[in-house]
Amino acid sequence: MTFGDVLIQQVINGVSLGAIYSLLALGFTMVYGIIELINFAHFNVFMVGSFLAMYILEALGLNGQNVILTGFPLVGVLAVALVGTMLLSGALGVLIERTALRPLRGVPGTAAMITTIGVSYILFNLVLLTIGADAFNFPNPMPKVRWGEGGVVLQLREVLVWLVAFLLMAGLNYFVRHTKMGKAMQATAQDQEAARMMGVEVDRVVMITFFLGSALAGAAGLVFGLYYNYTNFAIGYTAGLRAFTAAVLGGIGNIPGAMIGGVIIGLIESLGGQLLEVRWTDVIIFSVLVLVLVFRPSGLFGRAAVTKS
Amino acid sequence: MVSPGTRTWSIGEALAAPFRRLSSDQQRWLILTLLAIAAVVFPLIDRNEGDIDAAANATAFAVLALGLNIVVGLAGLLDLGYAAFFAIGAYFYGVTSSWQFHPEWSSFWEPLQWLGVVVHYHANGEDVVHFTLSFWIAMPLAALVAAFFGVLFGAPTLRLRGDYLAIVTLGFGEIVPIVVRNWPTLTNGAMGLNGVQAPSLFGYSFGVTSSPYYYLGVGLIALLIFVSSRLKDSRVGRAWMAIREDEIAAGAMGVNRVKLKLLAFAVGAGFAGATGTFYVAKLQTATPDMFMFPVSVMILVMIVLGGMGSVYGVVLAAVILQLLQSWFLQDLSGWMHVLGRAVGNDWMQQIDLTQSIELIFGIILVLMMLYRRQGLIPATRATRALTLEQQTALPSRGTIDVDLRVVAPSELKPGTAMLEVEKLVKAFGGITAVKEVDLRVEPGSIVALIGPNGSGKTTLFNLITGMNAPDRGRISLLGEDITAVPSHLIVERGIARTFQNLRLFNNMTVLENILVGQHSRTKTGAVGAVLHTQTMLAEERETREHALEIVGIFGNRLMPRLNQVAKELSYANRRRLEIARALASRPKILLLDEPTAGMNPAETLELAEQIKSLRRMGLTVFLIEHKLNVVNELADKILVLDHGEKIAEGTAEQVHAKPEVLEAYLGRKVAHA
Amino acid sequence: MTSIRRRLLLATALGAGVSLAIAGLGGPTPAQGAEKSVTIGIDLPLTGADAEGATRIKYGAEMAIDEANAKGGVAGYKLDMMTLNDATASAGQYDPAQAATNAKKFVSDPNVVAAIGPEMSGAGKAMAPILSAGDLAIITPSSTNPDITDPKFAGQFRPAGKAIYFRTVTTDAFQGPNMANYMRDTLKMKSVYILDDSGAYGVGIANAYEGQAKKIGVKVLGHDQLNPKEADYTTALTKIKALNPDAVYYGGVAGAGVKFVKQSYDVMPKTIKAGGDGVFGPEYLSAVGFPAAEGLYATNASPHVTEDPAAQEWVKRYSERYKVQPDDYAITAYDAALVIIDSIKRVAASGKPVNHSNVRDAIQSAKVKTLQGEVSFDENGDINSRVVSVFQIKHNPKYPVDDIIHQYKYIGVAPQSPAS
Repeated sequence: MTFGDVLIQQVINGVSLGAIYSLLALGFTMVYGIIELINFAHFNVFMVGSFLAMYILEALGLNGQNVILTGFPLVGVLAVALVGTMLLSGALGVLIERTALRPLRGVPGTAAMITTIGVSYILFNLVLLTIGADAFNFPNPMPKVRWGEGGVVLQLREVLVWLVAFLLMAGLNYFVRHTKMGKAMQATAQDQEAARMMGVEVDRVVMITFFLGSALAGAAGLVFGLYYNYTNFAIGYTAGLRAFTAAVLGGIGNIPGAMIGGVIIGLIESLGGQLLEVRWTDVIIFSVLVLVLVFRPSGLFGRAAVTKS
Repeated sequence: MVSPGTRTWSIGEALAAPFRRLSSDQQRWLILTLLAIAAVVFPLIDRNEGDIDAAANATAFAVLALGLNIVVGLAGLLDLGYAAFFAIGAYFYGVTSSWQFHPEWSSFWEPLQWLGVVVHYHANGEDVVHFTLSFWIAMPLAALVAAFFGVLFGAPTLRLRGDYLAIVTLGFGEIVPIVVRNWPTLTNGAMGLNGVQAPSLFGYSFGVTSSPYYYLGVGLIALLIFVSSRLKDSRVGRAWMAIREDEIAAGAMGVNRVKLKLLAFAVGAGFAGATGTFYVAKLQTATPDMFMFPVSVMILVMIVLGGMGSVYGVVLAAVILQLLQSWFLQDLSGWMHVLGRAVGNDWMQQIDLTQSIELIFGIILVLMMLYRRQGLIPATRATRALTLEQQTALPSRGTIDVDLRVVAPSELKPGTAMLEVEKLVKAFGGITAVKEVDLRVEPGSIVALIGPNGSGKTTLFNLITGMNAPDRGRISLLGEDITAVPSHLIVERGIARTFQNLRLFNNMTVLENILVGQHSRTKTGAVGAVLHTQTMLAEERETREHALEIVGIFGNRLMPRLNQVAKELSYANRRRLEIARALASRPKILLLDEPTAGMNPAETLELAEQIKSLRRMGLTVFLIEHKLNVVNELADKILVLDHGEKIAEGTAEQVHAKPEVLEAYLGRKVAHA
Repeated sequence: MTSIRRRLLLATALGAGVSLAIAGLGGPTPAQGAEKSVTIGIDLPLTGADAEGATRIKYGAEMAIDEANAKGGVAGYKLDMMTLNDATASAGQYDPAQAATNAKKFVSDPNVVAAIGPEMSGAGKAMAPILSAGDLAIITPSSTNPDITDPKFAGQFRPAGKAIYFRTVTTDAFQGPNMANYMRDTLKMKSVYILDDSGAYGVGIANAYEGQAKKIGVKVLGHDQLNPKEADYTTALTKIKALNPDAVYYGGVAGAGVKFVKQSYDVMPKTIKAGGDGVFGPEYLSAVGFPAAEGLYATNASPHVTEDPAAQEWVKRYSERYKVQPDDYAITAYDAALVIIDSIKRVAASGKPVNHSNVRDAIQSAKVKTLQGEVSFDENGDINSRVVSVFQIKHNPKYPVDDIIHQYKYIGVAPQSPAS
């Protein structure tokens, strides 16, 4: 491979990685945009979602990469898995909101965020204590299709990830901008009190926000599993921090920003690893996070609502 | 059934009876002494090395919790990366007293050998330097190094909101172990340090027995409880709590937020650095995995459980959690195994409850936040409710003549205005809030600023008090230019203010609120606070006396409520408290932003009287008001603002006659009707 | 007093009472009767990331002890096991501080005459000085970091002088370099890229491998670290692919290893992949699956015995009793227990009291016939036989996917010195 080839390949790698981070960042940034809550639990809902997806796919008869489907059956199976995972993850999100977060709605300061740390720990440890620390071979019916051999290679799974991420983002964007509930969500994001006074059922809006955010996390979990053929109890952590940085970079609360932020972080990871050493990736990404928060807290596209008035 | 006149004593009450006869202070001393005796005697009773070791670990985590308590509990800065400082302290000692570095011996090292910091090692064919910094020197040094990093990591967070601050600290908390892991020449990376030296006292090395470490740990706890308590109950501690409660108001009361936040980070980090040294000396090795995010979370859990800001609560929680993890859960698992064997249940026989400790941490965080945010031992003591007489007492208006030590008009050069504003302009984006405003406030007068909502009155106040910077124009106090002076220095110059929407320090008592008001007039720092120097004690006495004087101005409205937390006061009392707090700073001019808002007519009248008496004591008052009867009664001069411009100025009659004023308030049609 | 204080006092009293009760009663007390008993300590990371392997090790030791007890004990002594977990939840794996506490527990219990463990060298480093001070011997079936028994570090790890850290496996000082020799000689490898998982074991073995590779003329194209918490290694793998090495050597455990094997199959399926004993385990079969796992080379720091007919019967017993297949470290643990049992027997036979000091001495001079052959130790505590066995994954469809005995095929010994 020529150096040019390597670079192109790393760009492809980075952009694919970016899609996963974007997908994960999407739900997170949306929740923050509407209720200004940094939800640590989001990334473990993602992890739970990937396990749920795994169980659904196994229930549909899949096993490892041994059963390959194409055409309609493939689309059908994936669609069922996607919808199922999203519904279940969304329900989990609503459960979390109802029990742990609603009582803290009016409390100022970081109380709610601390609670999400607690919920995150609970999810993580419940999975660890029940399912265990093992890695699992994720059931994947997709055929191994690749374009380009030897040199630069593009794989079907990379295309899939982008497709799903893009569709979900477009869908979410449409929902928020053009539906009545979406407008209600925007209103709540601006000013909860005023929205309530205008007849918006804020409780319901928050519940739907959480449902959507968690459903997106679950979708990200399914996509992750299909992409890596792998899942385990610890995937929330690092993927979470990368996605978090992507959300902050793009402007927390900004949906297209999350996509762009994700791509940038993915590229930093792949190009940084290629040009420097892979071992420094974490430090680089954290430094990006710190630098953005300190020097441009609103990110690339977000509202400047981060510093004190 | 208990009928009036008889008492049924339970055994518990009977046992507690002698205890109850002691005073509250004596009770506290008794509890502490008992605990101290228990702590000292414990290793002699339980001779199991493993248990003592676990207890020694518990002491380390208790000190960490105390340190984080200062950052999170007192100053309100949520630090999620606290383990980084623990790591820094640990590796500082680890590197300076282990086999990590062995450069070639040369004469350069001789003075250091003379100091005892290094040793010339020549055996096995090697001729190298072996670092042997004494533990007792390393511990305070490590604290200083960690404190330095505390300032370094805290500095970028100063302008950030709570949750963002948390994320940045989380980032630093992640970066430190990664750097440690990837710098093997310094730290031996993931393989961990080898052969960190154990401390030795008078030639006796601590070695691997647990008891000396345990006692050292207990000593550390005692020392740091002492330091924490002293800090908490001092000018510095109150300033921290003020920042936690309301940063803007704290700044307006003279608190230098930058300095105090960095101080909080530094002190907290210092505690962790010292503990790191202790912990690694005991373990004689260190790996980067020992300092990751779960450790930071564990310490946070200790604080949440114990009570944010509560010194004893946090220590108690640390001990409970540590013992839970290394003692209680193990034994409970043992019981479950026995029970499982008895009933033949497989799962019960296998269960290991110690592994669920992190699950328990998560549950504790959620439950405490939902149901008992103040923790096991709340930082603010519950105060006695007022007696019926006190609640229904007829208010007496204060007639105490308080020496506010203001500048008497006679001392000034004739013609000097107390406050002068020239051509002040401030625009926010497209909106010009203040347009070329000129005004003068004469010393000893009461000037009122009126105008419809949104006319820029509060913005004007914010500009005068340094909370916003004007785009153009000049502000001067007694002739001195104060245009560019930041808000925490404005108070020192002599301008104090209250806020339109009340910015009290809600979880601090009435007395503490007023003491913070005097922040700019006092100067005891952290050192004085801990050492209780003569200056500090004298200062505390004076400030309390002054506070009582100020409270006296409001009669018995606030006096009986001195130890009540501000958020429990009635609305009118909260307004009075804000004024009292502002007065406490011995201002030359007092800016009141709608002081009677929300008060009923009787309360309004009372406050108006009190403002008048303030003028009698020599104070200049500049107030924003909507109630025209108050304005007419009090004001020597009235200024009218509309859409940022001054449209009228003069006495009450002059102003009310002007058509522009009527127009501004009532609308054009009506004015010309 | 205030109600808070009263409640606090009551709670403290209650808490103290309950704690004392539990501490006093603790677990089941061993039957104090005419029966004499001694305790063997077991320290393993029974939860967290290394739980699977640790449990197999525990079963190995347990089987030997139970068999001895079934025969009436050793010299009239019943053998008790004190099993302690050195993993903590906050570390997610073994925790040196917890291992140190466990070591102290062993040392302060006079009934404990010897111990088996730890699994991980990081725990061993923390335990060694404590055990040395307590003159208590421990035999590890799997800790391979050479520092702990290296005479250069004797001052740190055995300050009291006598060896207390014994091994029934050889160290990474041999495991890594021997594999380099094997790969150059038998696999004809000329260039290699090295990865480690930033963990204590992984860095050690990768560095040892690198040192030897350079010495024998293999071109080392680079040495980078994989982050076990990250999911995606395509960046590193793409970079390696571009450099086109003959082989990639991975030093580390399953956390990063599984993902490495899976993803490298996508990126560079034809490149040789090898690792140490950290890539020998069922997760590489179940989580990686076939065909991705096919062809992976792994080593073991002990002689290969599970296919040995003499050991076949033992394997059958183990798997029937515990419902899992043993791995080579289950055997080294069984052998460690056999050594201890033999040592206790010898001490009792000599008439000396059966305590930890005498048992340690007996272990030092042990020459015991075990499943892996005759085990004896040198003056540092290392096992005298320094065999490194090489395996390769070859899919055997007749057996279940995660059956490590049948999916890892033994292919030979990694030589201690290169062919030339």
